[in-house]
Amino acid sequence: MSSSKRKSIPRRLTDTIYKTLFEEVPFCVAIIDRDYNVVEANEKFSQRFGNWRGKKCYNVYKKLHRPCDECPSEQVFEEGKVIVADAVGVDKEGKPTHYVGHVAPIRLKEDGPVEYVLEMTRTVTGVKSWQQEYQILFDRVPCYITVIDQDFRIVRANEAFRESFGDVLNRYCYEVYKHRSSKCPNCPAAKTFRDGRVHNSNQVGTGKKNQDIHYAVTTSPLMRSGGKVAHVIEISNDITAVKRLESQVIEAERLGAVGQTVAGLAHSIKNILMGLEGGKYIVSIGLQKNDKQMISEGWEMLERNFDKTTSLVKDFLSFSKGRLPSLKMLNPADIIIEIVDLYKEIAALSNIELKAMIPKKVRKAPLDPDGIHTCLTNLVSNAIDACQMAEQKGNEVVIELIDNRKKLIFQVTDNGSGIEYDIKNKIFTTFFTTKGGEGTGLGLLTTRKIVQEHGGKITVESEKGHGSCFRMEFSHKRLLKLFEESDIIKKKNN
Amino acid sequence: MTVAAAKTILVVDDEADVRNFLKIALLEAGFNVITANNGNEALNEVKKKKPDLISLDLVMPEKSGVMFHRELTKNKEWSKIPIIIVTGHARDDVGKADLKELTMSGPGIYLEKPVKPLNYIAAVKSILNMDTSDDEKGAAEQVELQNQLKNIIDEADPDTLKKLKELLNKKKI
Repeated sequence: MSSSKRKSIPRRLTDTIYKTLFEEVPFCVAIIDRDYNVVEANEKFSQRFGNWRGKKCYNVYKKLHRPCDECPSEQVFEEGKVIVADAVGVDKEGKPTHYVGHVAPIRLKEDGPVEYVLEMTRTVTGVKSWQQEYQILFDRVPCYITVIDQDFRIVRANEAFRESFGDVLNRYCYEVYKHRSSKCPNCPAAKTFRDGRVHNSNQVGTGKKNQDIHYAVTTSPLMRSGGKVAHVIEISNDITAVKRLESQVIEAERLGAVGQTVAGLAHSIKNILMGLEGGKYIVSIGLQKNDKQMISEGWEMLERNFDKTTSLVKDFLSFSKGRLPSLKMLNPADIIIEIVDLYKEIAALSNIELKAMIPKKVRKAPLDPDGIHTCLTNLVSNAIDACQMAEQKGNEVVIELIDNRKKLIFQVTDNGSGIEYDIKNKIFTTFFTTKGGEGTGLGLLTTRKIVQEHGGKITVESEKGHGSCFRMEFSHKRLLKLFEESDIIKKKNN
Repeated sequence: MTVAAAKTILVVDDEADVRNFLKIALLEAGFNVITANNGNEALNEVKKKKPDLISLDLVMPEKSGVMFHRELTKNKEWSKIPIIIVTGHARDDVGKADLKELTMSGPGIYLEKPVKPLNYIAAVKSILNMDTSDDEKGAAEQVELQNQLKNIIDEADPDTLKKLKELLNKKKI
């Protein structure tokens, strides 16, 4: 707008403009003189703070009888500059009201003294109470919340977090969460900074009393003006108690398994005793009758059952062997080839074909070679037995290796006798044998135990008269994690 | 008096040693003996010739003892064949339920492995209402008493057991 044009606006119009502005601007406007008198105010001001005519500002704004301790207007009178200040006043109904005030100096002469101040105030009571709510929520919510900047420094932390981790402002998050001196590998916050997405993970941190804290963390991007992630909010749930319960449950299950094992052991011993009792009896009858054939029959029975004691002890020892598998990076196909070599001829003797199906490309995986060998031995010898018991002929046992993105799967399939439904439900939980005198009943229990120690699971599909398929599934991710952990333990022990 | 030779016993067990042992013990006592590997074979044998008593194992491949018994009871005539159970699973999770079903629905007597030949023959004879030697009589009574005690203890609640203990203590005085 040029000055010539401004001059063309009639004075009445400018008056009206200023008057409209004075009334319609979305602020409470008041003019105060050096003696704290309110000399002019708009309608909005009256509506908020009540009658002001002939009153002091502190009386109108705050219903006080002497000037406020920190008076922004005084400062403006002194410094002659605009300032912004916030304060809590009392409205005309006596309710507290939060407001932000713009205070500007008014000089009647250019370069002259400040004779009045113009106060434009906006109530922020709604925002304030919202802010308070948010603050309470932030502090009291039963999880840890931190805001970290791009340098991984903690710029905000809630009360729950400070209680567990101590005073942490401006410290590096990895220092605080994990007592590390460098960034954590697989940092979820770093991922969020990179891709602006929400990430979840489970972590173990170290508290201010050096205690282990397990937490499930969600990292969310905090974007300001435009696409770049300026901050990341980390919200974590303390799952230490859950983890503790989890390990108690595992321990209880382990004890339960021990109970089952003892019951099963008792059964195996009963069977052996029965065989020994029988052998003893037959030998004694043979001696009475001087029947050599009977004596040797009884003697063989005794020998067989002594042998069974030996294999029971061997199986039992392998069952009770340490809980941590000793993992080595290896090609899983190698174990399968070994097993096929081992059993091919035994299978052929009973006209059973033993085949391996291995994909061309197999990734190396951390496995306990002895453990997996034991598992496959158990499954393959079971499969051969099932084929021997089968009524149908043309039997085969197939060991298949499946390596997909997430899982490594060993599968042993036979077209043998299959498993009855009521027995299928029991084979992994209780050990017993349906193989007459041949088994100790520990094979599948040991197999399941080894698979579980690898963080995997074993399942069976079977149809009576058609065959069975046993599947050992291992998650690549779990295996790698176990491998890392066992590495750490090894290093610690060294 | 019933003569042992007139009686045929069917021994069903998946363990060859057990089958052999029981067979020889029964033969020595003068019985006729047929054997079967599992429930299926046993059914075939029953079809061929109805035995006077069946000595039955519980956990077997192909057809378990309890499945065999279920099929047996479908036939009116066969359902009357007395059964003696010889099992190692009397008290564990694998056999408990099966044993209960069997003892509730018919055969009352079971022997827990390992069994002594004398007890076994005595139990067989007692089910068949046959005369027994003094030794066997003693053994049979012992088996009977053991079974009764086992049943009582298995079914007893803690209070009853307490009372029982009190009674026994009184007897000592």
